[in-house]
Amino acid sequence: MPPIISLNKVSKIFKAKKKTKGFVNSLKSVLKPNYQEFKAVNNISFQAEKGEIIGFIGPNGAGKSTTIKMMTGILHQTIGEIKVLGYNPQKDRKELAMHVGTVFGQKPQLWYHLPAIDTFDLFSKIYEIPEEIYKKRLKKLIKTFEVQSFINTPVRQLSLGQRMRLEIMASLLHNPKVIFLDEPTIGLDIVVKKKIRALIKKLNKEQQTTIILTSHDMEDVETLCKRLIIINQGEIVFDGPTKDIKERYLNKKRLTVILSKKIKEIKLPGAKTMFKGDYKHGLEVDTSKHSIQKVIQKLTSKYAIEDINIQDPPIEEIIEEIFKGKKV
Amino acid sequence: MTITKYFHIAKISMRNVFAYKADVFAHSLFIGLIIFIFINLWQVIFIDPNNAIEGFTLTMMIWYLVLTESIVTSFGRLVEDMGNEIQSGEIATKLTKPYNYLLFQYSQNISKSLFRFTTTFIVGALLTLYFVGPLNFSLTSIPFIIISVLAAITLHFCLMALISTSIFWLEEAKAIDFLYSKIVFIIGGMFFPLEIFPDWLASISAKLPFSYIAYFPAKLFVSFSLNDFFKVFLTQLFWIAVIITLNYVMYKFIISKVQIHGG
Repeated sequence: MPPIISLNKVSKIFKAKKKTKGFVNSLKSVLKPNYQEFKAVNNISFQAEKGEIIGFIGPNGAGKSTTIKMMTGILHQTIGEIKVLGYNPQKDRKELAMHVGTVFGQKPQLWYHLPAIDTFDLFSKIYEIPEEIYKKRLKKLIKTFEVQSFINTPVRQLSLGQRMRLEIMASLLHNPKVIFLDEPTIGLDIVVKKKIRALIKKLNKEQQTTIILTSHDMEDVETLCKRLIIINQGEIVFDGPTKDIKERYLNKKRLTVILSKKIKEIKLPGAKTMFKGDYKHGLEVDTSKHSIQKVIQKLTSKYAIEDINIQDPPIEEIIEEIFKGKKV
Repeated sequence: MTITKYFHIAKISMRNVFAYKADVFAHSLFIGLIIFIFINLWQVIFIDPNNAIEGFTLTMMIWYLVLTESIVTSFGRLVEDMGNEIQSGEIATKLTKPYNYLLFQYSQNISKSLFRFTTTFIVGALLTLYFVGPLNFSLTSIPFIIISVLAAITLHFCLMALISTSIFWLEEAKAIDFLYSKIVFIIGGMFFPLEIFPDWLASISAKLPFSYIAYFPAKLFVSFSLNDFFKVFLTQLFWIAVIITLNYVMYKFIISKVQIHGG
């Protein structure tokens, strides 16, 4: 079977007007604009098979969204070849759209003043879903997403978590074979994030839907994606199993500790000091060597703790690490 | 069926209008105020209300203005709204749907526009009936006038859509939008019928599409002839076809060349 998505040496070059300093130069640039080219996406190739969930990660401006927009036909690549479900997104945007679902976490598609059910009804017409099939599917999705209680409430009155569930649901009505999820968990709290992850997983399992997911949250990627593509400055720097990255780079947790008494430095076996203040201290724990649970136990027994916060290192640092690793 | 999609978009958009009731109401009141000012202004100019200026009596002049105002202001801040969608990158969520983007925008805005047109016209008509009196016109002309008004609104939309897409190059369409609305106000004949202009300006204006948004349909309204209707309607269709073609060409170009804002 041919791959569901295939990108072959794809680049996207943007031209931007070069802004120059000073009034005279500004005037000159009006008459004769100076264009500067930059490569948002540089010679990338990869393929996705049916039923895969691929994590597509990278820092801001790395080219993730640009790549997604090219795969959905919104943007056209400068060179290279893209095939999604056998379609050429550049030429067959509308035909492709019939089989593809998209969620842009920061760009809502539900009508703000109307209940979500109205948008769903409209989408059923836009995607030309036969009435009976639509009704069946809607019923099932309502149950899976647990949205019965607020599907008839105007969207503006809903919480972000409720809204995001409906947003994702809206992109599933036409039973797409491929789904692009661009930051679907952005701004959500842990509980809702977990719920959304579980939904995505279920969907993938039941329907064998191919999913491309971008996120800033490493936890999204860790729990959902077996395969990871890391993109930086428009180039793919890693394409492989998530567990490889996890073993090598996702083995650190950051603790921010606030103490109730002034202390110069927290000294604990297994914890490296990141920064120290009077009350606020930062620690890093290598979880491949020490259990985070034990470190915290020791910490709480030894020091008077006011507050504690556990985080993953930011994605930018992980990518930096990967680069370092490559050079060595 | 593909066409039913657009009908449903128009339908849902109509329901959405009711979320902005206060806005529509305020808009109609504002236009009412403008019409009231013009009633007073023209009453001063027409010292004797039975006299006609360039073929227009006072009653004709005010009813003319009620219709042009209702058509021209019916889209509200369309260029701003469409422009925001482009600038914020929200257009991306629209382009991933299986429909024609321009037709989508048209369906979404036409119902809003018709709603605003109707409310403005009612407010204007009530004021005019009270202060000036009824217009002498034949009921049989109504369907033709409605057709011409629909064509005018469509042409108005096409021009504003064209301006909005220019944001892809200019990054800001406020200046062009401002210029366009003033052109429709003056050259399009929203404030004054072309008869009042010097001949050279009137003949230029009659050759441009803007007068087919305001002057020509309103002229039909106050002094109807079937012959004029066909001339006006065919020219309106001609301009709509030209502007749609321009929109289409520009849109194709944008999609292939220009970047989408907002990551």
